[in-house]
Amino acid sequence: MKRYTGAGQYPGDMVAHLLSIALLAAALPGADRETVPVTSGPVAPPIFRHDVMAVLSKAGCNTGACHGNQNGKNGFKLSLRGEDPTADLVSLTRDLFGRRIDRFEPENSLLLLKATRSIAHEGGLRFENGSPPYQILRDWIQAGAQDDRADLPALSSLEVRPAERYLEPGEETFFLQATARFSDGSTRDVTQLAVYEPSDPQLEVSPGGQVRAKAPGEAVILVRFLSLQTPVRVFKLQDAPGFTWNPPAKVNRVDDFIFAKLHRLRIHPSAPASDAEFLRRAWLDLLGFPPDPESTRRYLSDADPQKHARIIDELLQRTEFAEFWALKWCDLLRVEEKALDRKGVQAFHRWIRDALQQGMPLDRFAQEILSARGSTYAHPPANFYRSHRTPVQRAETVAQVFLGRRLQCAQCHNHPFDRWTQDDYYDWTSVFGGVRYMVLENRRRDDNDKHEFVGEQVVWLAPGGDAQHPVRQQAAPARLLGESTPLPQDADRLTALANWLTGSGRLPFARVQANRIWHHLMGRGLVHPVDDFRATNPASHPELLDFLAEELAGSGFDLRRLIRLICLSQTYRLASEPRPSNAGDFVNYSHVLPRRLDAEQLLDSLAATLETPLSFAGYPEGLRAGQIPGVKAARRRSGAGTGGDHFLEVFGKPPRLLSSEEERSCNPTITQVFHLVSGELMHELLTGPDNRLGTLLGSNLGNEQVLEQLYLAVLSRPPSAAENTALQAHLDQAAGRRAAFEDIAWALVNSKEFLMRH
Amino acid sequence: MPTPLRSFACSGFQEVAFPRRSLLRLGGAGLLGLTLPRLLEAEEKNRGSAARARTVIFLFQFGGPSQIDMFDMKPDAPDGVRSPLDAISTALPGVPLCAQMPRMARVLDKVCLVRSMHHEMSNHNSASYYALTGHAPPADDIRLRDSIDLYPAYGSVVDHLSPPSPDLPNTVAFPHVIRDGSITPGQSASFLGKNHDPFLVTDDPNQAGFHLPELSLPEGLSLERLQARRGLQQIVDSQSRLLEHAAEARGLDTYYERALAMLQSDTLRDAFDLSREPDALRDAYGRHTFGQSCLLARRLAEAGSRFVTVYFSNSIGGQSTTSGGWDTHGFNDTRMYPIIKDYHLPLTDQTLPTFLTDLDERGLLDETLVVWMGEFGRTPRINGNASRDHWPHCYTVLLAGGGVKRGFVFGASDEQAAYPAEDPVRPGDLAATMFHLLGIDPHTEVQGAGGRPLAIASGEVISGILA
Repeated sequence: MKRYTGAGQYPGDMVAHLLSIALLAAALPGADRETVPVTSGPVAPPIFRHDVMAVLSKAGCNTGACHGNQNGKNGFKLSLRGEDPTADLVSLTRDLFGRRIDRFEPENSLLLLKATRSIAHEGGLRFENGSPPYQILRDWIQAGAQDDRADLPALSSLEVRPAERYLEPGEETFFLQATARFSDGSTRDVTQLAVYEPSDPQLEVSPGGQVRAKAPGEAVILVRFLSLQTPVRVFKLQDAPGFTWNPPAKVNRVDDFIFAKLHRLRIHPSAPASDAEFLRRAWLDLLGFPPDPESTRRYLSDADPQKHARIIDELLQRTEFAEFWALKWCDLLRVEEKALDRKGVQAFHRWIRDALQQGMPLDRFAQEILSARGSTYAHPPANFYRSHRTPVQRAETVAQVFLGRRLQCAQCHNHPFDRWTQDDYYDWTSVFGGVRYMVLENRRRDDNDKHEFVGEQVVWLAPGGDAQHPVRQQAAPARLLGESTPLPQDADRLTALANWLTGSGRLPFARVQANRIWHHLMGRGLVHPVDDFRATNPASHPELLDFLAEELAGSGFDLRRLIRLICLSQTYRLASEPRPSNAGDFVNYSHVLPRRLDAEQLLDSLAATLETPLSFAGYPEGLRAGQIPGVKAARRRSGAGTGGDHFLEVFGKPPRLLSSEEERSCNPTITQVFHLVSGELMHELLTGPDNRLGTLLGSNLGNEQVLEQLYLAVLSRPPSAAENTALQAHLDQAAGRRAAFEDIAWALVNSKEFLMRH
Repeated sequence: MPTPLRSFACSGFQEVAFPRRSLLRLGGAGLLGLTLPRLLEAEEKNRGSAARARTVIFLFQFGGPSQIDMFDMKPDAPDGVRSPLDAISTALPGVPLCAQMPRMARVLDKVCLVRSMHHEMSNHNSASYYALTGHAPPADDIRLRDSIDLYPAYGSVVDHLSPPSPDLPNTVAFPHVIRDGSITPGQSASFLGKNHDPFLVTDDPNQAGFHLPELSLPEGLSLERLQARRGLQQIVDSQSRLLEHAAEARGLDTYYERALAMLQSDTLRDAFDLSREPDALRDAYGRHTFGQSCLLARRLAEAGSRFVTVYFSNSIGGQSTTSGGWDTHGFNDTRMYPIIKDYHLPLTDQTLPTFLTDLDERGLLDETLVVWMGEFGRTPRINGNASRDHWPHCYTVLLAGGGVKRGFVFGASDEQAAYPAEDPVRPGDLAATMFHLLGIDPHTEVQGAGGRPLAIASGEVISGILA
């Protein structure tokens, strides 16, 4: 193989310059490798696009915080992370009347004076006077600060070894080696020129590529050279003397993947959760509220070893399952009243819910939405385009929801952590440029509010509609994301998109959807966040993700089959209580991580538990929060919503404007806790004369039985002996029986065991 | 020893590249775990800039008050530009004020006028977002909607970077949520998380019996009974052991501690109890929503809140002499001057000087920064309705106390109050100044949606106004 060292334009001149590159490691701060300086032979001028640009990146000059900032710094602007060498060459050599570069006295170049802090530099010292990076810049200036030859080989790949590394407790360091491959087939060791960015401060990487792991953990190092970046995964194992692997029994393939990694990390999975915990978890995850006492009792007394599977199958067939999982899609597809109006919201929600209920394959579901046309009332999936009014919104949402890609960065510059360029962004946007609306009527209340649409619209597709590329100042050809050739001029772009997604884009699509389903059940995506798939954000369990995607695709994109597979795994069933080896694990599913119930889950759980119907403005009493089609049916101006509406807002039901799971907030707040402690709604639920307490106390059950019933209803378990004793004491000394039970019910619904999914 | 290279590349970038993935580190990712290092980090960054203001009181004048009819009078401007209101002299020599504000004229030596505020946003929601966050919105569009990719309210940033206070919210906003069509962005914590939302009070402080709904217990629920309930809750919590092993559960429980502390403490209840003020003072502030809101703001500053936002009105208004904001276009056959003469100016002239004097007499003004501003000013040229339209290109912000100069005018507009003539500043500069005065480094970065590192302020400290 040809060795291309990149040291000069002509292979014969390379040697000496190669040596100066080798010196870079020694001179950059924190260098760790000894290098033997050798001086001999002619020195070829450094290559602007390979050497100079690499030095600017390595010294941090072109980061977003420095001269890579949109406005530059102190009048000097470089392209972000060196995405545009041509512009940078102009900045370096022409701006400021060329004062940054002094070809006659290179040492007097402003560029070098600033970087070495020979004159004041807000960015501090970037490298020492006389150091190899200094020499690269100086030599390039001395040689005339020339642009490169037109036939300069382009960078084609960046390989870093090792791709992943497990460090034993005794081991602290290892070396990375980065190799660049160029379009002419040559390779070059760029370890000294690459930039290393660890995801966690517990990992340090020296400029020369030496990795040091300071504490046990798992992290990724992003290795960047010019326009390419490659992730390296590092696992520092904890010291676990006498570790003997004794996991619970595996149930299915999911456990193979999860347990294999845990074993390697010397982390034990927790013990399986109790039957009661499993049951509660499954009801909350699949239906959005906890089991009723009768179901709990039946399940707990069932001796059938297959009862786990039976209950999952049962739950998956219930209409509440379709309703609860429709919420997740409604969040992503922006099912909200202002853009769609009430009728549109109801139509779109019903369509989504029915699709789930009837088991419409997920790929067809996506196809129907992406290729939708027609009246937003008569053909509900067309509401997707109704709520996404601009090509950019459509392009970003479709990428995020269906392909798990966040393209937003690439609107203004090439994506800093992904391969998407601005060209990709605008070409993809052009796919959506032809969407048009025929607004048959608009009875909006506020003429100034251009968000609001009340009335029927017809979505149709006009030919063309190319987006304008802001830099190239020309129309961007419609091109599907990641494809190399544009769509044919006469293509129906939306249909082409829909077919592509479920045709050649089938597996990536399956991976994104499988990851999302996993996220909803396990609390964290294998790729996290779920809509941020990229090489530099690798999955925690790549093989498992592939397996799930293949299972999903292989089953004809059957949502229920994949949920069943995950819910029946031992991994899903593990307890939340940690074992000593896994208490610090938050990413490998060694135990369940408790999380606050979602807004709808929590409110429906309260209502179910206390047997009191809810009311929401604009809907008949008794509707569950999980059944609400949109965000807020009541018009804000025509009066406030009900206590239930307010509760959902306070607890983080998303306004559905962003097409991202992150819009839903489960952060606890002081206001939420006031609602739980002393809020009006809570008070009504507790004191309603016909609520569960009323029924129980009106029967002839004794305190002990009432207590047991109440526990089963709220926490899906009987009270422990300690609780029985303490609560009996409370009942004995209380003035009134009803009031005492209200206190107990309050304590139960305010317990973490109730408020959290665990 | 040369600076390590890595420390220079903006640290947030590294966090963007991958979600933090730290395994095996104990005490890690919970609510509490995250708070402390962030505080320390902020504190470390702030070393060297001592806080001049303990509290900011931000009086937001929704709708856009007119610069040329109030704090930037141009008596010599031509007809059609000059204010039809007469100018009077004030306690600040050479700085006239409209004749409708005689009381304000007497205290003008307490304030600092910034007459060169300017930007380009001419819609209420986009301009208000700019005013309430200090960050230019992505679009000057009435359709700008509140979402977590926009910047947080000032108060939320302050709360995010301040130590939590046990029984008093750091940031409070009242008595409205403002909206123009849709909710005006810039009023929430946005990507900082709901736990940093301003503590919002939408009850009217001017109502008889005004109190904090959160602090009132439902009938039949006494504090003692609540305390007993908390005891029972702790019994149930101890059974599941979630508090022992789940940081999320512990985080949630700290909010119970705080809620009960707030319910039991007199600090917050007292701060909201306006009946403790003498009637004469309440009358002097003005028996209207804005007057009593300013009084409440003073009480919260005394109690120790760090950022208090008072919204003048819930809507842009401008067409009524009994309610609404400053948006006086003369639409629907209304006229600007009768409206502001009857409503906005007398009301402001009652409350604002009373408020400033009260703060000053209590010795609070030096440690309390008062900001009075709208989202923009109004057109220099009087329109066909004998009124004025939106004008973001130059308007006046009134500041007082908290480390800014007294009796000072900064910047200047041109002869028609149309464009800055000297020292132009933008909302981002005001933001940087407020953070600086609170002892928060304006360059502090927070993590935005999708992990982007974002500086809390987009401008530079206006050093010319620092006392």
